[in-house]
Amino acid sequence: MRVGISHKFIMGFIIVVASIVGFNMLVPLLGLEEYWWHQVFSVAGALLVGLILGTLFSRLFTSNIRILREAAERISSGDLSRSLHLPDTMFPDETYDLALSLNNVNDNLKSLVGAVRSSSGQVAIAAQGLSATAQEMTASSHELSNTVEQISRGAESQAETVETTSRLIKDMALNTELVVAAAGKVLEAVDLTVSTAQQGGETARRTMEGMKQILLNIEQSGEQVVSFGGELQKVGKIVEVINAVAQKTNLLALNATIEAARAGEYGRGFAVVAEEIRKLADSTAESAGEITQLIGKVQTNGLSVEKSLRASIEEMDEGEKAIDLTSTAFSAIIDTAVNAQRRAFSITELSNKQLEGAKYLVGAIDEISQVVSDNAAATQEGSAATEQQSASMEEMAHAAQDLTRYAESLIDKVKLFQLENSLSAD
Amino acid sequence: MKQVLIFRLGSEWFGLQISCIQEISEMPQLDYIPRAPVWLMGAMNFHGNIMPVLDLGAYLGIESLMTVTKVVVMPPGQEGIALGVTDVFRIVHYDPDDCLPCRHDTKQKKFIQHLYDYEGLVVNMFDISTLIEELKTI
Repeated sequence: MRVGISHKFIMGFIIVVASIVGFNMLVPLLGLEEYWWHQVFSVAGALLVGLILGTLFSRLFTSNIRILREAAERISSGDLSRSLHLPDTMFPDETYDLALSLNNVNDNLKSLVGAVRSSSGQVAIAAQGLSATAQEMTASSHELSNTVEQISRGAESQAETVETTSRLIKDMALNTELVVAAAGKVLEAVDLTVSTAQQGGETARRTMEGMKQILLNIEQSGEQVVSFGGELQKVGKIVEVINAVAQKTNLLALNATIEAARAGEYGRGFAVVAEEIRKLADSTAESAGEITQLIGKVQTNGLSVEKSLRASIEEMDEGEKAIDLTSTAFSAIIDTAVNAQRRAFSITELSNKQLEGAKYLVGAIDEISQVVSDNAAATQEGSAATEQQSASMEEMAHAAQDLTRYAESLIDKVKLFQLENSLSAD
Repeated sequence: MKQVLIFRLGSEWFGLQISCIQEISEMPQLDYIPRAPVWLMGAMNFHGNIMPVLDLGAYLGIESLMTVTKVVVMPPGQEGIALGVTDVFRIVHYDPDDCLPCRHDTKQKKFIQHLYDYEGLVVNMFDISTLIEELKTI
């Protein structure tokens, strides 16, 4: 049954008061007459009871307190190996509560210190690992810094290279523009050539047609000359007939003259007539001869005309062949020129495409240049950041070392606590 | 004034008095005379009379291959022959006093007594009677 200290004190007082009262009532039973004796005995008995009770109580109390103090001192000195045991009693009081609490404290402290010890050990180990890791990281960070620096340098050279490339590509674009302009001029020239050659071909064709017309005319003239020759031959035949008639007339006149001579004086007039007829026949024959001569001349001229016509035709043929050749040459020129035109056109197209590509390329290179310079800046920032990180890492390494030291000192400090006998033996 | 017919044998000119000429005609179709000498060209029908045609050029030995286009017919009954000549020219008046001495060789000299200059044309004056006489001897 739990009885508090205050209640115990109250009980003590009540017992003391009750003993006083009891002694007062008991003493007369002793038979003592003297009053004052009564008083003395009762007071003495009460005092005695009070003394005994007080001494007993205080001793019990102080012994518990002592045990508690000792336990508290033990705990404060770090000995947590033992728990507190108060002597068993019928009426436990607040000291037992205190003892229980102290035991709880001891247990809690023990578990706490154990936890702290193991944790600090782990922390020390972790801190050591952390320190090592931090050192490694510092090294890595240095390497990283170096690498980043290299990257930065690379980025700078890349930026330079990109700049050079950009310049080259711009030059190329410029050259491509020149090529485009030149191709355009070539195209113009080829167009001109084509049109000129076509005009030439057209002229050659017209000349050819003219030549053919002339040839036709000449052939017609030749035919006319030949038919003229035929007509002349007909005329010649007529002249031959006239000639024959003239000869016959001449013969007739001769016979008439002979007859007239035979007639003598009577035939004289007839002879005159015959002479006249003969003269007519003569002049007819003469005219016929002249006509024949003329026909001969005309025929000769016709022959020479025919010959010259033939020569002309041959020359025309030659000319036709030459013009044919010219026409063919013009056709070939046109073909070639058209080919050239097509090629020049495709060159222009390709050059234009190339120009567009070059422009895109210039834009892309500018973007690349931008990106590269951004890269370079970012890399420099990265370098700075890496250096900062490196510094931070070093700080962290220092901190980890500090942490190790702290953990170790914590362990040292926690070592003051003895948790168990086996542990204290360690 | 006498009249002569100027005719041609090959390239030479001859003259014949028209008094001994019956007619001049074109060379007619001739009939072949067998075994005749080369200078006898054949026979012709002259108004019903058969007349031998003499190749005068061949006979005189002037040109053997000359062409004969006309025949000069003698009056039938007298000489009774026709002379084949290359061509006849014309009948002209002539004066025997204008005649020139002959300069031909022996064969032709029998028939050519003299020459006559007609407007620059040298004409051999042919003596037909000599020819007739000679033909009669054959």
